[in-house]
Amino acid sequence: MSLIGALNIGTAALSVSQAALQVTGNNISNAGNPDYTRQTATISTTPDQQIQPGIFMGTGVNLTAIQRQIDQSLEERLRSSDSDGQAASTAQDYLSRVETTLNALGDNNISTQLSQFFTSWSNLANTPQDANLRQVVLQDGQSLGQEFNTERSQLTNVQTDINSRLATQAKAANDLAQQVAQLNGQIAVAQGGHGQANGLLDQRDAVLKQLAQIVNIKTVPQDNGTVNVYVGSEALVAGTTNQGLSMQLQQTPQGPTPELVFTANGGNVPATSGEIGSLLSLRSQITGFEKQMDDLAHGLIFELNKIHSSGQGLDGISSVTATNAVADPTAALNTAGAGLPFTPTNGSFVVHVRQKASGQQTSTLVQVDLDGLNSNDTSLTSLAASLNAINGVSATITNGKLTVAANSSAVDLSFSQDSSGLLAALGVNSFFTGQNASDIAVNTTLQSNPNQLAAAKNGDPADNQTAMAIAALGTQPVSSLNGASVNDSYQAMVDQVAGKVATANTNVTATKAVITTLSAQHDALSGVSLDEEAVNLVRQQRAFQGAARLVSTVDQMMQTLLAMPI
Amino acid sequence: MSLEPLQLARVGSLYQTGLAQSQISDVEKKLIQIEQQISTGKSLINPSDNPSNASVAMQLQKTLDQRQTYLGNLYAGQSQLGVTDNSLSSLNDLLQQAQTIASANLGAAVTPAQRQGAAAIVDGLYNQAMTLANTQFQGVYIFGGDKSTTAPFVTNGSGVEFVGSQNVLKNAFDANTNLAFMVNGAQAFGQLPATVPSSANLTPNLTGATRLNDVGGTSNDGVHLGSIVVGNGSVSATIDLSKATSVQDVINTINAAGVGGITASIGGQGMTLSGAAGDNITVKDIGGGKTATDLGILRATGAGAGAPLVGSNIQPRLTPLTPLAALKAGAPVDLTSGLKITSGQQTYTISFAGATNVQDLLNAINSSGAGVTAQINAAGTGIEVLNPTQGMPMTIGENGGTTATDLGIRSLTTSTPLSDLNNGRPMTLATSGADFSITRADGTTFSVSISGAITIQDVINDINTADAGGGITAAFATTGNGIVLSDSTSGGSTLTVTPQNFSSAAADLGLTTPTVGNTIFGADVNPITTDGVFSHLAQLRNALNAGDDASITSAAQGLKDDQNAIITIRGQVGARVQEMQSRQSRIQDENVATNSLLSNLTDTDFTTAITKFQTLQQSLQASLETASRVMNQSLMDFLQ
Repeated sequence: MSLIGALNIGTAALSVSQAALQVTGNNISNAGNPDYTRQTATISTTPDQQIQPGIFMGTGVNLTAIQRQIDQSLEERLRSSDSDGQAASTAQDYLSRVETTLNALGDNNISTQLSQFFTSWSNLANTPQDANLRQVVLQDGQSLGQEFNTERSQLTNVQTDINSRLATQAKAANDLAQQVAQLNGQIAVAQGGHGQANGLLDQRDAVLKQLAQIVNIKTVPQDNGTVNVYVGSEALVAGTTNQGLSMQLQQTPQGPTPELVFTANGGNVPATSGEIGSLLSLRSQITGFEKQMDDLAHGLIFELNKIHSSGQGLDGISSVTATNAVADPTAALNTAGAGLPFTPTNGSFVVHVRQKASGQQTSTLVQVDLDGLNSNDTSLTSLAASLNAINGVSATITNGKLTVAANSSAVDLSFSQDSSGLLAALGVNSFFTGQNASDIAVNTTLQSNPNQLAAAKNGDPADNQTAMAIAALGTQPVSSLNGASVNDSYQAMVDQVAGKVATANTNVTATKAVITTLSAQHDALSGVSLDEEAVNLVRQQRAFQGAARLVSTVDQMMQTLLAMPI
Repeated sequence: MSLEPLQLARVGSLYQTGLAQSQISDVEKKLIQIEQQISTGKSLINPSDNPSNASVAMQLQKTLDQRQTYLGNLYAGQSQLGVTDNSLSSLNDLLQQAQTIASANLGAAVTPAQRQGAAAIVDGLYNQAMTLANTQFQGVYIFGGDKSTTAPFVTNGSGVEFVGSQNVLKNAFDANTNLAFMVNGAQAFGQLPATVPSSANLTPNLTGATRLNDVGGTSNDGVHLGSIVVGNGSVSATIDLSKATSVQDVINTINAAGVGGITASIGGQGMTLSGAAGDNITVKDIGGGKTATDLGILRATGAGAGAPLVGSNIQPRLTPLTPLAALKAGAPVDLTSGLKITSGQQTYTISFAGATNVQDLLNAINSSGAGVTAQINAAGTGIEVLNPTQGMPMTIGENGGTTATDLGIRSLTTSTPLSDLNNGRPMTLATSGADFSITRADGTTFSVSISGAITIQDVINDINTADAGGGITAAFATTGNGIVLSDSTSGGSTLTVTPQNFSSAAADLGLTTPTVGNTIFGADVNPITTDGVFSHLAQLRNALNAGDDASITSAAQGLKDDQNAIITIRGQVGARVQEMQSRQSRIQDENVATNSLLSNLTDTDFTTAITKFQTLQQSLQASLETASRVMNQSLMDFLQ
């Protein structure tokens, strides 16, 4: 109970008000900073003083803490939904590119090219000897092949882009993880076991938010103020140590593929969300689309060639070289050792040798024994031997490729009734060359001699049965495509892409709604409200004014006392 | 536009601006989508806009594309049939004109000069008919079938040969309908080529290489491949034959299964399964399969240990690849003697030396220069030979052996009915008494009546009986065709055949040919003749030149028959064109419906789209206004 005590109370009140005003000022100045967490000054009364037994007198006010207004579990959820949101929009970006590549509802895509191609075969069936119609078939076949090539290479481009984006983002994630580790160290030192280094904490939260957008993380706060960051169950940042993230080439069934690993131990990073998680999943999805497109082209090539290679053109063949090479000419032709891109089956085909002058032809049945019995299955060598045994035919093997030729200029050759698919598998008298979407093309032999385009099946020059059969191929179930037709297979692929893009679109909207909700909750707690701060300002001003009045009042009282005559 | 949750404890300043921002951007995004729909007229831009609708739309588009193909084929087919009909119509007029000329030049009142003038006109008509027969449309000889790259009718000696094909082209006019858009040229310009029908069953024995496609199976509807169960009484195995393509494949697969000691082998026209002494062979089909049945080796209950299973005939068909050794179920066929074919006045001897399969044999006949066509008959059981040349009779006879008979292609045999001879011209027999008499070299004569005879053999028997050992032997020719009379007597007279009682039998049997030494080699009186527009016009021209009224009348009758045939074909063409037109209009109707369905799925509904656009526009304005007001308000403004 003294004037000095009252003066002390006033002094403390003045400094607390100033401090509170500074907190408000800090809040106002950071009102536009989205990474900033609102702070509040916590003040409390100082302990009472017992002036007489039973009577306690207050001693003023004290600043106890400057508190960040934050809910750590909400932040964790927000980071996780940020990961999902980023994953969804990444998926949307890349899948839309795939959808645009397919251009399924446009005027120029594989489907329209297929229609046009089969229509030109049907037209050819009207006038099989027409040179122009033959050119149209070849032209449409080429356009179809090119459409396949283009779309397939665009898919590859998307893959390449994904891989380079993965590399960039892995580096960004690594840098961010490094920053977290550094901030962890600074925070531990600054706080020294108690208190809150609010600015550093805000910085760390901002870095964690960016990191979460790149890869899905979990954070576990430690007692010393540091935070451990996990991807899956593995620590990316432990205290002040960053395990590091990088891309490393690894062997996969698709060949060497860059995979995301922890630099410290080389272990795979189980990224399931965030941009990186999404990119990894997209990569396998697009590999799936590539395979579907390749399978479609593979099936189309084989099925069409099976029909074409048993057909005859206007001109006979004087020499034909297989477009597909056999790795081991002594291996049975349906085995992996032979290495043909298409698998022939047990069966036979007929070789016709025609005397050009008289038009008379002799026919020989060539057995293709691929039943796996009696160890006498047909190999390229034995096939060449049986062809050589035919009068008028010579067969040779060069670099694994079979060449069948008429051995005199007086005769020419044709093939028919191939029940084994061997001619198509070898690429003899074939329409398409190549084996998948990236290399499908029209046989160059046909381009240089359209008369060898096979429209006939019975050997008569103007027969159209092969052309008709090919025209009907688009809608017929075929074994190479597991019983689906060419058209249906394409449709299935487009449907699948469309479904995935639609899902990605929905995911973007859905994750956005979650993020908006959580952000609203975050802002409600941690966001600065200028109106609120204006009120705080007034309050703190008044408190300061009151404290100042107290000091001046005490001062006057002391003056009064000092002026008393002694 | 998503609504934000509003159960908030406080409202931060950044939240206010952020909310306004996201709402404005949402509306703008939607505006752009609608704008795109309005400007392109398409409501489906990407399949992902509505995957199920997009999928249906693409299928509809596919259907439309397919129909477009059919429409293209229908147009092409109709124009080709239109040209065909025009040609046939001209041909019809031409034949009418020829008949008019024929009837105007009959009788004694017409002078030879007039007839020769008429003959010149008919000759012109003949050339016109030839031009019509070789009509081209867009590079296609419309009467050439699947050999339409070259002219189908060519001059061959005094006749016209059809070198086109009777296989007419078809095309798809519907998912399941392939229709012909050509007519059979041979049929349009005459009778179908006359044929020596296959008179011998040449069905071959099986060989290992025989393709299962080339056998009829026990019920002659092909072999339905699947699995069979083979057992020997104690063990059984399921054998998958679905990959087999040849008889050898079947045998190998059964042998590889190794059920007891059971092995399969070829037995003639079927397969045989034999086992070791203890094997009681059973072969069953699985479920509803009929593989064992078709392969003729079904045996549900064993026939006892050691009893082999002799399969039934699985009806192998004759193909160009059939080896000659397997022909006729392995029965001997004389292929060394060869045969003789006459076409018009020319005789060609055909040798089969070096031939190994049926195609070689057919090639030998087809390349003989005789202008005949040998082919496998439709049933795949024998060989038939066609005479595609109008006005050139063809005969096929032996060359000293039995080749033609063995192959079943001899045009005249001892069993040929007399009613078939001379293109079916009826024989005038004596109303009573003998039909002809035969004078031997020794001057003696005997008479023969053939009143009861039905075949050539009967005539031979009648002659030999009437001769009663007098020295004349009647037999059938071993080279060429015809009855051969040999005279063993000698004397000052000459072997001659003289008609009696106004009977035409001697001439109709070909017995009035000049005697060579002691023998009369009777003529071949069963020529295989193909008649048609060209042979009849030629006959008319020649008859006019010769002034032969009977021949003019018969030619006119032939032309009338040709005309009737053309009228029938034109009717068929008309019906086909009509069918195509109705298909065309049906497809067009269907397209209207499909297009409207497609439009519903993919096109923008402008009323809805524009209404939506305006609503969004208002919404955007409202958002902007609210945002500007909310953001401009602050307590700071009110504090002094």
